Amino acid sequence: MNNSNSSLAEGNSETTCDTAQLISNDEASTSNYGQLNNHENYQDTEENDLHGSHGVRRRQPIQKIEPGSMNILSAKYESLDYDTCENHLLLDEERKRGYPFIVWKDMARWFIIMLIGMVTALIAFIIDICIEQFSDIKYMELKKFVDKYVLMDKLYIPYLLWVLSNVCIVFIGSVLVAYVEPVAAGSGIPQVKCYLNGVKVPRVVRIKTLLVKTVGVITAVVGGLAGGKEGPMIHSGAVVAAGISQGKSTTLNRDFKIFQYFREDHEKRDFVSAGAAAGVSAAFGAPIGGVLFSLEEGTSFWNQALTWRTFFGTVVSTFTLNVALSAYHGHPGELSYPGLLNLGKMEPFPFQFYELPVFILFGGIGGFLGALWNYINYKLAVFRIRYITAPYLRVIEACLVAAASATCGFLMMFLLNDCRPLGEDPTKVPLQLFCADGEYNAMAAIWFQTPEASVRSFLHDPIGSYQPGSMLAFVACYFLLSTWTFGLAVSSGLFIPNLLTGAAWGRLLAIAMQAMLPSYTINPAKYALIGAAAQLGGVVRMTISLTVIIIETTGQISNALPIIITLVVAKWTGDFFNEGIYDIHIQLAAVPLLPWEPPPLTHNIYASEVMSHPVFTLRTVENVGHIVELLKVVTYNGFPVVDPPLADDAEVTTYKRLRGLILRSQLIVLLQNKLYNENANTTWSNFNVKMNMFRREYPRYTSIDKLEISDWEKTCTIDLRPYMNPSPYTLPHRASLPRLFRLFRALGLRHLPIVNDVNEVVGMVTRKDIARYRVWRHRGHMGMEELLLSSEI
Amino acid sequence: MKSDGKYYRSYIEFPQPELCSKLLDSFAESASNFTVCSIKYARPIRLCEKCVDHYAQFHAIYENLTDTVVNGTSCLALFISQDRLNAIQEFHDNLMTIWDKGNCNDCFDWTADGPEIKNSTLEFNKMFSNTMNCITSNMNPFSNNTKEICNKCMGFYIRLDDYYKSLSKDSIGVDSICMDIVDSMNTTRSIWSKNLHCCDIRKTPELIFLTCTVIVAILPLLFYITVRYCRPIRDLPNVLKESRFKQSILRSVQGRIN
Repeated sequence: MNNSNSSLAEGNSETTCDTAQLISNDEASTSNYGQLNNHENYQDTEENDLHGSHGVRRRQPIQKIEPGSMNILSAKYESLDYDTCENHLLLDEERKRGYPFIVWKDMARWFIIMLIGMVTALIAFIIDICIEQFSDIKYMELKKFVDKYVLMDKLYIPYLLWVLSNVCIVFIGSVLVAYVEPVAAGSGIPQVKCYLNGVKVPRVVRIKTLLVKTVGVITAVVGGLAGGKEGPMIHSGAVVAAGISQGKSTTLNRDFKIFQYFREDHEKRDFVSAGAAAGVSAAFGAPIGGVLFSLEEGTSFWNQALTWRTFFGTVVSTFTLNVALSAYHGHPGELSYPGLLNLGKMEPFPFQFYELPVFILFGGIGGFLGALWNYINYKLAVFRIRYITAPYLRVIEACLVAAASATCGFLMMFLLNDCRPLGEDPTKVPLQLFCADGEYNAMAAIWFQTPEASVRSFLHDPIGSYQPGSMLAFVACYFLLSTWTFGLAVSSGLFIPNLLTGAAWGRLLAIAMQAMLPSYTINPAKYALIGAAAQLGGVVRMTISLTVIIIETTGQISNALPIIITLVVAKWTGDFFNEGIYDIHIQLAAVPLLPWEPPPLTHNIYASEVMSHPVFTLRTVENVGHIVELLKVVTYNGFPVVDPPLADDAEVTTYKRLRGLILRSQLIVLLQNKLYNENANTTWSNFNVKMNMFRREYPRYTSIDKLEISDWEKTCTIDLRPYMNPSPYTLPHRASLPRLFRLFRALGLRHLPIVNDVNEVVGMVTRKDIARYRVWRHRGHMGMEELLLSSEI
Repeated sequence: MKSDGKYYRSYIEFPQPELCSKLLDSFAESASNFTVCSIKYARPIRLCEKCVDHYAQFHAIYENLTDTVVNGTSCLALFISQDRLNAIQEFHDNLMTIWDKGNCNDCFDWTADGPEIKNSTLEFNKMFSNTMNCITSNMNPFSNNTKEICNKCMGFYIRLDDYYKSLSKDSIGVDSICMDIVDSMNTTRSIWSKNLHCCDIRKTPELIFLTCTVIVAILPLLFYITVRYCRPIRDLPNVLKESRFKQSILRSVQGRIN
């Protein structure tokens, strides 16, 4: 009691102390947190800002920024806590549970991974069946109309019907995406990548998102947009993983009271990485590719056990999908449908040494086209961020693109009269249009089917199947359509459209080579595949996982070398111009993503420059009123817990000694349960103070504004020591940026207190403090820039 | 030479059961008949119609080979899977493959007495010959004007085409209709559209269609321009003031000087 009284009295006296104070006026306004921004008194430090804190290149210290800039980080994104909080409660729990619990938990992990694989595969199955059925109906009906009206000079009727059906279907999907769950837009891979990197992207792993995503994918593909269903599968897998592993859903307001011990960011993130891998595996029938995808694109914290479990999940996923699809297609037990995307069985193609330069050339072309694709998409994305913000505008845009896709397809069928005899290859909807009887329009066959089937046609049809002119028109058209489509308010991915574009130009080049070298037999399938790989690699800039995915979908390990060469060249060529499409979108979203490696040449940047300086601290025994006030005023999520200062000297700058670290979420739970020192004897005995108290609320804690704290409570005190993490990772203020970065990235930290020689807190490093140092590369040059922060993006 | 002869004779000394040898002989004969017939009627394809009796015989004898049991083993087992060459099985399979590939069974109703041509096949053949008769009788070898033929035979042709389409579910019929019919239809279509150019009426200007596409193509452009210039003026996001050690020290020093 005595302690609490004295700390209350101190409350207002420490205004010049270098620990940030809530009540003080000037210093507090310099914090980088939104509510504290005072826009009046900036003049004093303007010259400092010109050079950033240490001579790093920095943009003009503008006060306003145009949205759609890549040099901004949003202060709104929070990090995930990968670190376990070793407080007394955890120790209690460990003591009580002992080793049987560890064994049980391990088994539960395997069980959950298996469930994740199965459920992901079933979702893939549902999506696949719906798309196939609806597409069949749509194209069959359209064919009837075309056949009927083409003889009557009324082709505009089927055309308008096609436009109308596209627009209606896409309208449903985009309304869902724009109004119900905007985070379900696009492929979801950038969002999952951010999540696995440790950034909490709001609403990304909710059930609602999954529902919108599923319906959105079906409508996007059936609606005839140039998009695929593979990317969204990865996101779906991630949501499934997050949902199952938690044993509860806040959206559905259901708590199944199972798997409570997995309700923390650490475990959830592991499961999400396994779920994303299962999604890849279901999408491409590529279990190893899935594991490598998670490794390459995502998780910063990766270990052997997790790899093994993830692999198990991916295999279960592809197996389940295989069983389900085989049964659906009438060959139960035959297991011939391992993934959604099936490129068909490729023959192992023999290649000679002199062909390697050709593969390099293909890689170069793919890299260049991919960079161009990214550039166009980037410009469009910026335009969308700046001007197309309202949901209704986004819906209109999606509908217009759907109409344009139909127009494009129909015009190509109309203008390019590329006829082929019926019955030589399986064509679901052969459309005669202006062809002779017994023939069908080759372009119509490509447009009147789902894009995957088109990729298969390009890979497997004999070399004379398509005329070069129509191929060229198709490449140009589909290239532009796909880059226009990605980023709309619909859920669709970019794998299939890019594979399709690449396969088309690969085949085109094969035709050209055949024309130049008539004495050789050129295998069009080989170059179509290489072209597809090059185009996709040029856009997404993935290397290992993409290689393995393509090898697994084609089922040919011997094609590895050509594909690797092509992808590496495509990545290098593309990187010369700009970044991969996912990184571009992540940067546009201003997400503080941490790359694999710290920026080079930064050993001269010290923690004292990186850290946020005035730190908001709490004392070991803290006054409730102060905690509530602090939580309301700042948006910080972690607070160092310090010893009360020894001296009350108002003139001397003092730091206080670090005792531990406490999180906002923990404070809120403490306040909610009124675990005050004052009512320790009365209330506490009514329930056990346990870890589950904290887990119950996870992951959505009540906001501080919604808590009702009466006046009498504000004079109470809380002893934070049993709940805080008593030994947070810290670094001395003279630590360099790379050291800081490695600790942060490898351990998946969220808060890193910076201490001086006597273990007193001088600053705090969070993800945003580190992520603002970003390395850029462009046309062979590179450098580092310091990004600006904004809380309004 | 002599020793060679002895060698062969010694081989003959292990005779197969007589019944089986006889069956094998007749099987060989039926196979050869069927082969001759198939090759004869390969182009234009009349294979199914003309060779069906040979096929039936061939098939029946093969069944017979399987069913005849001498001393507990079937005759067939004596002949097949005995050596690497496995000639009998190979010939049988090859002949069957050709028959099955052509979906020839689809032309016939298989009754107990043997194959009978289906009604639908007869109907098709009738329509086909009508159409061909019409075309050949109206053909004028001295002029290139085919309009007349087109107009005159259009009715026959369209009836034939529709009937053909009605025969199979997917209206292409490659995998379900018997090859005789498919080939007849392909020939007719080819003559009709390639030689007689009767399909050129399909090519029409479609002006309304083109206008529609132009309008739809312009719509997105209009949309983007409208959005670009008619959006509400929004307040731009502010840059956050970062709180760093250096700045706060400077500020506190300044504060003290002031």
